Amino acid sequence: MGERKARVAAEVGLHARPAATFVQTAMKAPMDITVARTSGGDPVSGKSILQILALDVRQGEEVVIKAEGEGSEEVLDRLAEIVSTP
Amino acid sequence: MTTVLAPVEGAAVGLSAVPDPVFSAGMVGPGAAIDPCRGPGAAVAPISGKIMKLHPHAYVIVGDDGRGVLVHLGIDTVQLRGKGFRLLAAEGDRVRAGQPVVAWDPAEIEAGGRSPVCPVVALDALDGTVTALAEGAVRAGDKLFQWT
Repeated sequence: MGERKARVAAEVGLHARPAATFVQTAMKAPMDITVARTSGGDPVSGKSILQILALDVRQGEEVVIKAEGEGSEEVLDRLAEIVSTP
Repeated sequence: MTTVLAPVEGAAVGLSAVPDPVFSAGMVGPGAAIDPCRGPGAAVAPISGKIMKLHPHAYVIVGDDGRGVLVHLGIDTVQLRGKGFRLLAAEGDRVRAGQPVVAWDPAEIEAGGRSPVCPVVALDALDGTVTALAEGAVRAGDKLFQWT
């Protein structure tokens, strides 16, 4: 399974704007995407804005994003970039 | 079918009227918005369920069927870090549709240079499932839209 770790850079954490951008990108991908805190906790679906908002990751926290299959590396790169862009 | 109620009193408007492309372009999801009456009041739960997330400026209520509705009080109000908002409930509380959640004053938000418009979003709703949008004046607790 491909994975990327990224530190949340947005001052507001992964909320509204960054969460929406993340989910919009994840939804375009054909494979499942999961997101979890590297510090622990169950992974959530990267395609559900409800679950991403529930995760409530704050600025400075690190998440691990997972996806597998053809094209997953590009998707993971893109999603990691969204998370780590302020 | 979920009936989503207006969380605040004011004029019901389409999401496309919200001065923030994240909401107006439907990026967070479909729904509606309310241009609230200027003056102190309480924002209420749009559906019955559990308060899954409660920030001073925004909250998500999740119904027993797993459907979540986001209420965002004003635009860019996260920047206020809670100033001007008073919690009337706690995260994790079960609430009834129409129950007060946050006390605030849209006039204060506006005086601070931010839009007090409140997006109300059906999270993860599929295309075409949000219908029967209210038009014109609504009171808190009036029907705002249907989520089939």
